Amino acid sequence: MPKWFVPLAVVCAVMFAVSPVLIANAPYESTMGLVQKIFYVHLPSAWVFLLGAIVCGIASARFLFKGDPRQDRLAWAAAELVVVFGIITLVTGPLWARKAWGVWWQWDVRLTSSLMGWMVSVAYLLLRQFGGPGSEKLAAGLALFGMANVPFIYISVNYWRTIHPTTSVVPTLPTSFGLPLWFSAIAFLLLFVLLLRMRVRLEEQRATLDTLYLSADA
Amino acid sequence: MTTRLLMATVLFCAIGAAGTIWPSIDRYTATTVLAQQPAPVDEFVPIDQLPPQDQLPAAPLLVTAYAFVVLMLFAYVVSLAKRLGGVQRDLERLQSELKHTGRS
Repeated sequence: MPKWFVPLAVVCAVMFAVSPVLIANAPYESTMGLVQKIFYVHLPSAWVFLLGAIVCGIASARFLFKGDPRQDRLAWAAAELVVVFGIITLVTGPLWARKAWGVWWQWDVRLTSSLMGWMVSVAYLLLRQFGGPGSEKLAAGLALFGMANVPFIYISVNYWRTIHPTTSVVPTLPTSFGLPLWFSAIAFLLLFVLLLRMRVRLEEQRATLDTLYLSADA
Repeated sequence: MTTRLLMATVLFCAIGAAGTIWPSIDRYTATTVLAQQPAPVDEFVPIDQLPPQDQLPAAPLLVTAYAFVVLMLFAYVVSLAKRLGGVQRDLERLQSELKHTGRS
């Protein structure tokens, strides 16, 4: 592991320990009350979910056009994280919506496109796992569609009628709400970087193992 | 002819009777339905002032959300560490086997 890994892991752990204190001390939102505090994990996980899809897409594009296996490993690692953070987003969102909207789910454009983005990443992983030889290029093509979906997910709330809050909410948040949100967002971002590095390391080790098996058979 | 006349009379009486009874049925139904409905709300009611049966407790939803996040991340880190450990063990075993057989 690189030198920065352990110090960053320590910083991330401290931030995750402090984050609940900031969230608990944040004021209650006037209309939603206590349940609004789900926001502090829902939104950072959604951002990391979208970031993961972008990383996966860019790495896949580089793999497709340059054939660099390191980019393929990065894309695979990012796709797995998209699935992890995506499921966190898709579970915490309905738990918040049940109280705030009165329903678990709405087939509106933001929720549906997010579900589609998550399913593209699940399809990517299934393809890598069971697709056999050559599936890495098919999966890379799929990852491009996953990345193309990201801007659509982000701006969808501004263009279509929806009950999901628009993108103008976060920039206008008062400091009392914004501080715990950004703190939590940085903690999630650090966690994403750490997990991505660990997952890439796993693929590197697997590649080394494959090379050793081949040299043992030769 | 007699049958047609008889049928027309019966139909006329039935319509007349229905016309007489209907307003009272309608009034009764409307009154009953209105009585069963809650009093109309003519202004905004804050969520914390709603009657208890209309309030959904937030705490279980919040606890479930945070517990899910923690468990999900923990499970993923454990799974990743296990996979890394497994590959590392295989690597070390294979490297030592190759060393013993004189190949590297």
